[in-house]
Amino acid sequence: MHEFSAFEVDGRPGIRNHVVVLSLNSFCNRATELIATAVRGTLPLVHPFGRNEIGIYRERFERTIEGVVLHPNVHSVLCVGYEPDSTGEFVERVKGLTAKPVDSVLVLEGGTMNAVNAGADKAIWMVIAASEARRRAMSGFEGFVFGVKCGGSDATSGVASNAAIGEAVDRIIEMGGTAIFSETTEILGAEHILARRAINEDVAKKIYRAVEANEKMAMDAGIDLLGVNPVPDNIRGGITTIEEKSLGAIMKTGTHPIQDVLSYGQRPEKAGLYFMDSPSAASEVVTGLSASGAQMVLFSTGSCNPVGNPISPVLKVTSNPRTVARMRQHLDVDISDVLTSGTSLRDAGDRIVDAIAAVADGRLTTAEVTGHLEFAPIPVGL
Amino acid sequence: MTGAVSPEAPLWLWLHAEDNVAMALSDFTQGSAIEVGDTRITFADDIAYGHKFAVRRIAAEAPVIKFAETIGVAKRNIDVGEHVHVHNISSLRAGKQ
Repeated sequence: MHEFSAFEVDGRPGIRNHVVVLSLNSFCNRATELIATAVRGTLPLVHPFGRNEIGIYRERFERTIEGVVLHPNVHSVLCVGYEPDSTGEFVERVKGLTAKPVDSVLVLEGGTMNAVNAGADKAIWMVIAASEARRRAMSGFEGFVFGVKCGGSDATSGVASNAAIGEAVDRIIEMGGTAIFSETTEILGAEHILARRAINEDVAKKIYRAVEANEKMAMDAGIDLLGVNPVPDNIRGGITTIEEKSLGAIMKTGTHPIQDVLSYGQRPEKAGLYFMDSPSAASEVVTGLSASGAQMVLFSTGSCNPVGNPISPVLKVTSNPRTVARMRQHLDVDISDVLTSGTSLRDAGDRIVDAIAAVADGRLTTAEVTGHLEFAPIPVGL
Repeated sequence: MTGAVSPEAPLWLWLHAEDNVAMALSDFTQGSAIEVGDTRITFADDIAYGHKFAVRRIAAEAPVIKFAETIGVAKRNIDVGEHVHVHNISSLRAGKQ
């Protein structure tokens, strides 16, 4: 059993202890950034959205910012809103869902600089309170949610790093945890294999429906999926068709049954393996996995994508020895020996689980240290 | 992994016995050759690291098999040792409109 420790937040284990300053719309970004500059130990979250979105755009945005506030890696939140009505409504709603400190300031009450002054005064005490939070020992992965993603894939991804992550995912679920994989375009051509692993006919149908809707979206837009996915770096790396990419991508899902299909940013209800219906761009997927409550995201990469996330540490795994030589600063777990000297996938999976426990316990990832904190809350695409 | 793996530091990877393509774990130059089981494969093209080459002859319109699953169809006849990529196979799923 792996030993590590975690914070307890609303009954869920948290592996970071962020004080978030959250911009509720684009023209609150300036005040948000200035508060975070003024008060050490705060994490600013800014984005170009928050006003007049409709339909799926609005749903995804709202689920994402709500997911940030409720996230177990977040100790407390200062919301920076524009006007009182929508800001108050959001703050009251999330306060009903969490016991953590949530407060707000308004830009419309005296302008950006006055909001900065008022916000800094509140944030100081949030940071001091957060510094008093203590970790406690954990055993197993009960209450843990892991996002699983591959990006910058090449031909080594499917045969080695995704497959080793699949081993780790199996182990995590056997220790009481939950894993969420995503990217609907990247199960295209492998959906029949996943549907066979659905817990029931209803979930199998949801998997097929998600893929059909994705293909229809491409056709309605007049897009040849081959021109979009595999992307040029995949093709340069030896991946030829979307079917080949998908068959490699699903290796990271391990072997356990699929419990359900989630919407972007939706939280899973039980433990086990879930599929999140979403586009496939890395920053957007990782943001959605984090919004679903994932404390950490396991990220398999071939040519190396440096993406990170502000809330959930992103753990990078590669099996390409050339990538290790070229992009070491963006990688956390090197399992290239699977391809260079025949290390078993099971042993490589064990090393990934060891790294997961270390990062859960507080060891920083390369994405955290290099400042890759991408936050992309409205994904619509393929 | 099942299928054949070259010994020591592997130079190529053939995942499943039913696969008709294997993956290069080295940069092969046109005209060089490897032994896969009892078969000698001479590369008809340069094959870059991670790219695929045919380990069996693949007829035009026939499925290209990797991971023991269909990853596309051959646009034309592909001989043993040829580079298998976007120039000679196509997806069955993309661009269906």
